[in-house]
Amino acid sequence: MRKRHILIFIISCWISIQSYAQQNTDTIKRQESYGIRLGIDVSKPIITFFDKQNKGIEMVGDIRILNNYYLATEIGNTTKTTNEDYINFTTKGSYIKVGFNYNAYKNWVGMRNEIYVGLRYGISFFSQTLNNYTPNATGTYFNSAPIETGTKFSGLNAQWYALLFGMKVETFKNLYLGASVSFNKMISTKEPENFKNLYVPGFNRVFLNDSGVSFNYTLSYLIPIIKKKK
Amino acid sequence: MKKQIIIFIILITAFLSCEKDDICIDAITPNLIIRFYNDTLHTELKKVELDSVWAINKNGLSAYKGVSTDSIAIPLDLTENTTKYIIENNSIKDTIEFSYSRNDVFVSRSCGYKTIFDNLQISNNTNNWIKSITINNTTITDEKAAHINIYH
Repeated sequence: MRKRHILIFIISCWISIQSYAQQNTDTIKRQESYGIRLGIDVSKPIITFFDKQNKGIEMVGDIRILNNYYLATEIGNTTKTTNEDYINFTTKGSYIKVGFNYNAYKNWVGMRNEIYVGLRYGISFFSQTLNNYTPNATGTYFNSAPIETGTKFSGLNAQWYALLFGMKVETFKNLYLGASVSFNKMISTKEPENFKNLYVPGFNRVFLNDSGVSFNYTLSYLIPIIKKKK
Repeated sequence: MKKQIIIFIILITAFLSCEKDDICIDAITPNLIIRFYNDTLHTELKKVELDSVWAINKNGLSAYKGVSTDSIAIPLDLTENTTKYIIENNSIKDTIEFSYSRNDVFVSRSCGYKTIFDNLQISNNTNNWIKSITINNTTITDEKAAHINIYH
């Protein structure tokens, strides 16, 4: 009697294990798309609409090279007038940033979202035009009027590296909304004579210790090229 | 996960640590510094009893109205290459005309440009209470030492 019970128990265990195994092999294999994702920064045209002194455009792109790794790039052009207390200048130029993103987000089955960290190398070629300045003196005993100069400093450049943090969410099939913040640190700059690169396209405002912050809000489309089974 | 977030925040802070550059703290356009010495003993400072100090066609400098001092710091006109000052000592007036060339030098974002002066000269002066004037430094880049000595 007892022996029979044990036998039934063992058999039932074996069957249940078998059915589990069966279930695993039965699931549909999901496909992972590998391809090129292209997009634009949607915030820059909006900023231009409200602030005519700040014109910019940025294209973004990335390619998935490994499961969680993406080669990424941003290319842009900026014309921005900065108005400070004693100076007013216009920066005009183009930039490119290249690097990679690592997706740290573990998706549920069928989802393709990203929360990523990234590294970038950035280079920018630009010119600075000093529109006017007011010599800074203590007190107001003599009136100091702004001096219109219009001096243009051409052929300037800057190189930097950046630490990136961002996310991308697939809203419709293959259409992604993204946002990222980038912490920039200057490597080298070609400075104008008797002036300073206070704003660099792609780097944004250059703080005293040669660091800066930039943001982007992107809308991008994934062009699937290869579909890998996972 | 929590640990990773903390590490990330530390990394960002170390990376960035932004410095404030909105407030101008650097040296800007220097004033002209004049010291008054004893005419009989050139190494001895001698105070003047200032009634007023003013640039021509201007009001008196508020810092030097009815004060007794052995040195003054006066601003130069940044739109002209000459500035004419009248110094009234014990109700006696003397006029000094300074001539110079100007040079604007970039300082920083918040300070903008400052003006420094070269070729400082006394192009004209009267000698009612002033006995003689010497120029110590023909370039004015800072306010660390007197640029001009007046003996009286």
